[in-house]
Amino acid sequence: MRRILLVILGSTLVWGQPTVAPTNEAVGPPRGLNYEGYNILQNFETGFRFFDVDGNLGKYRSDVNYRRGMRLLSSGLTINSREGKGRLFDEILLNTQGLGNDPYQSAILRVQKNKLYRYDLIWRTNDYFNPALTISNGQHLLNTRRQWQDQTLTLLPGGNFQFFVGYGRNSQSGAGLSTVQLFDSRGNDFAYFSDLRRQQNEFRVGGEVKVTALKFLWQRGWEWFKDDPREFLTGPSAGNDPNNSTRLNSFNRAEPWRGQNPSWRANLFTEGKRWWALNGRFSYVEGRRNFILDESAIGTARFGALQNRQYLLFGTGRRPVLAANVTGSIFPTERLSISQHLAFHNTKMEGDASYREFNNSTLQLSNFNFNFLGVRAFTSTTDVNYRVTKRLGLFGGYQFTERTIRSVEQLSDEFFKDQVAAEQTNRLHTGLAGIRFQPIKPLQINLDGELGRADRPIYGLSERNFHSLGARVQWKHKSLMISAQARNRYNFNSASLWSHSSKGRNYGANATWTPVERFSLDAGYAKIHLDTLTGLAYFANGASVTNDRSRYVSNIHAVHFLGRLMVAKKVDVSAGYSRNQDLGDGRNTVTGSSLTGIPGFLQAQTFPLSFTSPQARISWHFHPKVRANFGYQYYTYQERFFTQQNYRANTGFVSLLWAF
Amino acid sequence: MPPLWGQLPKGVTADAKGFVGANACRTCHPDVNRDFFRNAHYQGQVASCEGCHGPGQAHIEGRGDKTKIFAFSQKTARQTLDRCLTCHSKSMARSNIRRSEHTQADVVCASCHSIHKPATPKFLLAKKQIDLCGSCHAPVRAQFSMPFKHRVNEGVMQCSDCHNPHGTDAPTWRMGQRPRLVAQAQGNEEACLKCHVEKRGPFVFEHAGVRIDGCETCHSPHGSMNARLLKRPVTFTLCLECHNGAGNFGRQGDGIAVQSPSHNMADPRYQNCTTCHVKIHGSNGDRLFRR
Repeated sequence: MRRILLVILGSTLVWGQPTVAPTNEAVGPPRGLNYEGYNILQNFETGFRFFDVDGNLGKYRSDVNYRRGMRLLSSGLTINSREGKGRLFDEILLNTQGLGNDPYQSAILRVQKNKLYRYDLIWRTNDYFNPALTISNGQHLLNTRRQWQDQTLTLLPGGNFQFFVGYGRNSQSGAGLSTVQLFDSRGNDFAYFSDLRRQQNEFRVGGEVKVTALKFLWQRGWEWFKDDPREFLTGPSAGNDPNNSTRLNSFNRAEPWRGQNPSWRANLFTEGKRWWALNGRFSYVEGRRNFILDESAIGTARFGALQNRQYLLFGTGRRPVLAANVTGSIFPTERLSISQHLAFHNTKMEGDASYREFNNSTLQLSNFNFNFLGVRAFTSTTDVNYRVTKRLGLFGGYQFTERTIRSVEQLSDEFFKDQVAAEQTNRLHTGLAGIRFQPIKPLQINLDGELGRADRPIYGLSERNFHSLGARVQWKHKSLMISAQARNRYNFNSASLWSHSSKGRNYGANATWTPVERFSLDAGYAKIHLDTLTGLAYFANGASVTNDRSRYVSNIHAVHFLGRLMVAKKVDVSAGYSRNQDLGDGRNTVTGSSLTGIPGFLQAQTFPLSFTSPQARISWHFHPKVRANFGYQYYTYQERFFTQQNYRANTGFVSLLWAF
Repeated sequence: MPPLWGQLPKGVTADAKGFVGANACRTCHPDVNRDFFRNAHYQGQVASCEGCHGPGQAHIEGRGDKTKIFAFSQKTARQTLDRCLTCHSKSMARSNIRRSEHTQADVVCASCHSIHKPATPKFLLAKKQIDLCGSCHAPVRAQFSMPFKHRVNEGVMQCSDCHNPHGTDAPTWRMGQRPRLVAQAQGNEEACLKCHVEKRGPFVFEHAGVRIDGCETCHSPHGSMNARLLKRPVTFTLCLECHNGAGNFGRQGDGIAVQSPSHNMADPRYQNCTTCHVKIHGSNGDRLFRR
């Protein structure tokens, strides 16, 4: 009994940096109740959340978003047949979290009868609020709810002939803000309202067949996705720039689209008697998207002329994607594995579109072609894994990729047919090597390095001459696990006039300790450092600037701690602390390191802030089947340069966790 | 200690291959047996212990000698992998497990799954998923506690929503070398598009940076101190670092276009690129992504 309790407690209480609710302690008989050949385990936690925010409520909702009210904070129900021979089912599993208006709600359900059927459901919802003041001054606010669900019914699970059907749904709906620039490229920009209604439905059917050593999987899928946004501004607006005389009286845009992705997937796997394995995969997706855009804007242009402009645009886009992979592995000896992976994919984005613009002074009509973009890549990866001794292993690999990008682009504005075709080929060679070392059984040491050379990356920020070094040490003995990691990544991408260099260094350490069932501890620290330098070219005050540089330094120190202690077998106390602090490049004011003379650029070089959240929870096990819980979690967000987004929040809950 | 230490329990006989049945195992391992009916490996099969651990006769007669049975704690990573794949190799989700980065680092089945003492109701994980993954990937776990993040700590997402820890085929974005454990969406696309379907396109005007090198060009997918998971605190440096006309980058191979002279970057208004270029992931109506 003690051991089972230890397992339950130890496994549920060592969280990374969880939210303070729901409570994770167990309640009720740990081994469940037996009823007519079934065993039942269940618990429910019902409680009340509270919160109070001092500062920017919008930012709090963006980061945390817990609100006030009654919740079914969590529930769990498991019914298992004791002999594995239930009449209609052998297992029912239902877990929920946050039901009753939490911003993060989820449920999983599994019902199965051994070897006959298995039904899985995942349902989740996320209330998303994000004003993001640093992006378009908060005028791209989103206040939406996203819901996902996925259901799969598998027939004859685990058998040689297995079939499945599945359905998935993903929707996002709610309100938002967006912006539009009118009536020309020097016009003003105006915020407008958005009613978002995005939805994706996916069906799939397939099967797995095993005949001797040959295993074959096929899947036919259909994906439909659509959006019916309505975007409008009913009242007059002076726009964001008071010095710009452009005015908008009304704005309406309808932009519905419908897409579908019918797909085929097949996978073939076979292996010899422990010395070889072969896996082939083929996938083809015929993507299509039909769209229409109807936009009308009425207002006054920069020079005072009345404008009545309408865009009407419609067309079809297609994106067929073919992907094929073959992986062959041989195992010449017990110690040696060699895998060769070949991958090919071809993606084409093509289609047709029409465009019409109308205004009160000219009637212009233009047809233009879909901008073609094709990406074709071939990748060959060889991996070798060799165990020298039981405690020493080596691995290495080499990868070659050749990617061809074809493009047909309409370069000037929509009224000229001046398409430019281009094709380029990028190649990448990478090699990696590593060593695994276990000097004594509890201690595992891994070291690895990667070196890469690309001849023609597509962007200045892409990897070109790069290398990476990594190390990981883990000590695991009984209930104590301590691990530490380090990884450095360097990339240097030089061009004729500028270069981009990036240095990323990540260090982390983590410890988990559960010496006795009434005490557990989890603590960790991570440092995430990024330092990039890139050449810039832009226009400022009518002059071309070609010698500026963008430097960005992020120096994040993250620490978390969570401890739990059981007092007198009746009371569980847990306390935690989490702090993420970006020290930036060390400066305390916006001015400082100056590679540039423009204030806005100085502000963008670094963004020091801290996000801290201590928490505590007490749980009183006053009845074998009931616990009373109280938790408190504090959040504070503090930027160093600006204060508009700062906030402090007190959140918490009281609840009863019960089983019957 | 069982009453007949070193002998088969009363009423138990071994067959020609040395299989003795689960009842014999129960004698010495009652704690494992007691709740094993909840285990996915149980399913009413009497011989379920020896299905994984091999015939038990020699182990019993050797007085619990771990070398006389397939004891996972005593085996190498490769041996553990081979044993589990005896049954679990046919799933497409595990078809790349032999070459996965986890396997290379000796992180194999028993490193994450606990068959006898699972912490999760599904998949027999040894800990909750975020703790399991976070125990090795501490910097990633820290990112989920940042102000902007995918809601993993809050329980609405899991690592495996985007990643396949058992290995994946070469990605169909970037140069195919990384990331190696990201599961592709249904349409062979980046995992982000599983949920963010409105950014999928195809668009008349694709932002080639999104399509060719992937969302990570601009975003940090796990978490960020910056709004919208961006890699920079503001958008204009993010944009200008590519749009600087340098080298032979870009679709045409002659440098990525520098902004228009009509822009005045000294004016704060022009430092919010996406205020005007609002459809930055791709547009059907404007090659400059303005509608």
